[in-house]
Amino acid sequence: MAGEIQERGLAVRQPSSLSTRSQSLLARLSGETTLGRRPHARPYQAYLFILPGLLLYLVFVLIPIVNTFRYSFYEWTGFSEPTYIGLDNYTNLFRDKDFWTAISHNFFFVIFYTILPILLGLFLTSLLTRQRLRGMVFFRTGLFIPYVMSPVVVGIIWRWLFALDGPINHVLDAVGLSSVARPWLGDFTFAPYATGLVGTWIEYGLCMVIFIAGAQSINEELYDTAIVFGANAWQQFRYVTLPGLRQQILVAFVITFIAAMRLFDLIFVLTSGGGPGKTTLVTSVLLYTEAFNQNHAGYATSMAVVLTVIILVVSVVVTRLQARSEAEELV
Amino acid sequence: MFKLRPFVIALVAVLVVLAVAPAAAQETTVLTVWDVWTRDVEDAMGEELAAEFEAAHPGVDVQRTAYLFDDLMTTLPLALSDEGGPDVAAVNQGRTSMGALVEAGLILPLNEYADEYGWWNRYAPVLHARNSFTEDGSVYGEGNMYGMSNTAEVVGAYYWKQAFADMGLEIPTTFAEFETLLQTIKDAGHTPLAFGSLDGWPAIHEYSAIQHPLSTVQAIDDFIFRREGATFVDDANLLAAQKLVEWVDAGYFPDGFEGMDYDNATLQTFLNQDAVMWITGSWMTSVLVEQAGEEGIGFFVIPPADPEDPPLAIGGVGIPFGISARSANPDLAAEYIDFITGPDTAARLLEVGFLPAAPVDPSALTEGTLTADTVNAWNLISSKNAVGHYLDWAVPLDDLNASLQELLAKQITPEEFVAQVQEAYEGAA
Repeated sequence: MAGEIQERGLAVRQPSSLSTRSQSLLARLSGETTLGRRPHARPYQAYLFILPGLLLYLVFVLIPIVNTFRYSFYEWTGFSEPTYIGLDNYTNLFRDKDFWTAISHNFFFVIFYTILPILLGLFLTSLLTRQRLRGMVFFRTGLFIPYVMSPVVVGIIWRWLFALDGPINHVLDAVGLSSVARPWLGDFTFAPYATGLVGTWIEYGLCMVIFIAGAQSINEELYDTAIVFGANAWQQFRYVTLPGLRQQILVAFVITFIAAMRLFDLIFVLTSGGGPGKTTLVTSVLLYTEAFNQNHAGYATSMAVVLTVIILVVSVVVTRLQARSEAEELV
Repeated sequence: MFKLRPFVIALVAVLVVLAVAPAAAQETTVLTVWDVWTRDVEDAMGEELAAEFEAAHPGVDVQRTAYLFDDLMTTLPLALSDEGGPDVAAVNQGRTSMGALVEAGLILPLNEYADEYGWWNRYAPVLHARNSFTEDGSVYGEGNMYGMSNTAEVVGAYYWKQAFADMGLEIPTTFAEFETLLQTIKDAGHTPLAFGSLDGWPAIHEYSAIQHPLSTVQAIDDFIFRREGATFVDDANLLAAQKLVEWVDAGYFPDGFEGMDYDNATLQTFLNQDAVMWITGSWMTSVLVEQAGEEGIGFFVIPPADPEDPPLAIGGVGIPFGISARSANPDLAAEYIDFITGPDTAARLLEVGFLPAAPVDPSALTEGTLTADTVNAWNLISSKNAVGHYLDWAVPLDDLNASLQELLAKQITPEEFVAQVQEAYEGAA
């Protein structure tokens, strides 16, 4: 990804020559690259080089995916002899109200995992890129750290922060907002928001870093021109930065959307797997309890397949959008 | 030619070693044991027991691994269905754990060993039902024995003796007296019960502590073992749900209990004496003794509604040990189980803070200590056959936790609660 950003950055700085650009576009659209067109004496050597990686990928990724798909048509405890039951797992799944609850919560968390981090990331980018800032590296690193931490660690930290006698409630008490203080993670109304905010805290750093990298490749002259025409900070952001970051926003969207769909460890630690009640129950947690606590492994795999399909569909749609905007940009 | 000789000699030597090595290895029999004794003192005890067993059985190498309970539960089914799994393993009770392993034919019936070693009388015979299934794993509580336990648990109330003395309180003998006691403590300006529902599962104990005294052994057994006509929708269960909500309204639990976890917040609330009592399981005795000593805290079983009845409390024998169907040495495995569930081990278990399933010699106890209170509470319910059940043996834990949290937060009514539990119960059949 970093490579892609860099490559694009270079592309923008290249003296604009329409013909070479459209050529490279053609090459990209038809799946050819300069590298691919280079004559190669012994092509099998290349395959030999990728063989070790391919084998690992096959054994640990492709085969399990195919097996997951296969087991979704079986009744299977996870260790018994699987029995073929056709589409029964899927029909049961669509009748399972816990599944619908969980999937709706995943989409609720998209607000906190995807939309808020992107907005926050854009805001921080505009703060951190437009003027030379003393200690830039410090801010950038500091703001990125939450994303690098293990979700389990994040969960434990925030469980402590949200605790009844934890720092958040202490601060509220200290500023005279005792009536607002509450057991955040045990409250039916506030637990989903509290949990969601932790997600925002994790993901905004990633969005920010992607956007900063993108913003650095926006042609400075565009800003200069905008300033000459009297654009204020907001207008510069709206008409220069934002269009320039379209690609990066789509990338950030896909990554954080997938994170919201796959959400597991944070919920597992933070709200003991979906509490209070089932207010923060998400699909992966439900899948885990079905597979490992209730021994409905076959049923759980059907849930995994549906989740994968949702992620795939959204990713494909976004990638299409990305390709289209790239085409517009280049033509 | 001459020079080759050393190589030939070396080659022959290597071959001889290779040929002898397996023969030598065969003399040691490896017995793989997976248990859940992860705390330092428990682990040390486990190692000592293994060493003693090895000393008594020359040529046996006990390879013991301690797993965290949750890890073992998720790993065990796969490990047992594969080569290289354990010979002896801690197997959790209940339909989804032991029942599924029996159904898949992964663990051995122990009846013959039980006859041979006299396991049937090691603890209250009725408790063997909890480690029993029919051969196809379909009926719980009947058929063959698949596990032998060495520890016991009883859920009751821990209380601060000084606070009781200050308020002139006595240990109640009926459930009505217990409720009066709660109100008296509340009126005196204290929080009666330490409790937090953030983790979900402690609410099961809180609810059951009310439900069991109001219900009967018969009704609870029928429900857990899924006997014909068993249902959760009955008067006692509904009344217990209503009472739990009443307790919330009466302020018997700490403010903000919804946000309190078990290991930190609830434990600290009780240890700081911010609450006078704590309804939880006897597994906390060792922790409380460590933190507050033997003298300050007492323990009693929640009394029955009718003083003539035995006090029915949740409890039972702890996680049992079973034998893998793939074990190459099942007889040796049985001998090991006999050793770790036997009377000699019982005294050791008590030392490291477990409540042994087998009766403890009363002379080993000092009256008035928390340990003695706990052992006596267990002996009381065990001897009167008044041992209740954890509801999550029959209802999926996650559904139960969610329903109880909803009930406590009044998101659902007691009527909806019993209906919801019944639905989850039927769904898990």
